[in-house]
Amino acid sequence: MRNKEPGMTLIVKTITRLTVGLILLYGIYIVLHGHISPGGGFAGGVIIALSFIHLMLAFGREVALKKLSEARASLFESLGAIMFLSIAILGFLGGCFFFNFFLHKGKPFELFSAGIIALCNIAISLKVGAGLFAIFAVLILFKKLGKDE
Amino acid sequence: MSEYILCLVLFCIGLYCVLRKRNIIKIVIGLGIIEYAINLFFILVGYRTHGRAPILAKDQAITNMVDPLPQALVLTSIVIGLAVTALIVAIAIRIYDKYGTFDISKIRRLRG
Repeated sequence: MRNKEPGMTLIVKTITRLTVGLILLYGIYIVLHGHISPGGGFAGGVIIALSFIHLMLAFGREVALKKLSEARASLFESLGAIMFLSIAILGFLGGCFFFNFFLHKGKPFELFSAGIIALCNIAISLKVGAGLFAIFAVLILFKKLGKDE
Repeated sequence: MSEYILCLVLFCIGLYCVLRKRNIIKIVIGLGIIEYAINLFFILVGYRTHGRAPILAKDQAITNMVDPLPQALVLTSIVIGLAVTALIVAIAIRIYDKYGTFDISKIRRLRG
């Protein structure tokens, strides 16, 4: 049986529908626990991007771009960069670049501690996740343009 | 010492792939192998025998851990390698659009 709609077979689609949310949640977990366990902004951002790429591989390009369009990915990427820079510059409130203005140092192995490191991790994950997704989407766009010519 | 020589062997495999193969995709894979050989070498330089990962943990006194500096360096190197690979793949796709082939010996429009 041939299915007309784009993407892979029904088995892949069903499994993707079940797992893609878990992958996204795991990425968010890695980002939020970046300052107390291995991982952090980059690794979590890659996992978040992989969840959207997984969606794109299974369902085709349009479905994934409906969840996170190229313009919005670009917006998130720029937002991550500006957030990281503004966190760094807001440190001048306390006197120096990257000064910890937000919370005090806190205790080791607690989630709400470590001041601006958690915020920096969130900014990096936005930048990396949206950027990686945009790279993948644009590579597919290239392929489509080549076929049209 | 033998692990460093194995790193060199891996590097030479990647170099052979870059210099000898004609398919652009194989050249990209060769560049990836070179990159991973260098990363592995840096990680091995920072290793000490029976060392554990440099991560703080609750209720544990860490006495013998590997050097964390090469690991941070290699993390940055992996990010840069990702960007470089994406750039090379984009260029390869453009070349395929223009010439209709991945064979570098058939791309002759710029021959001097």
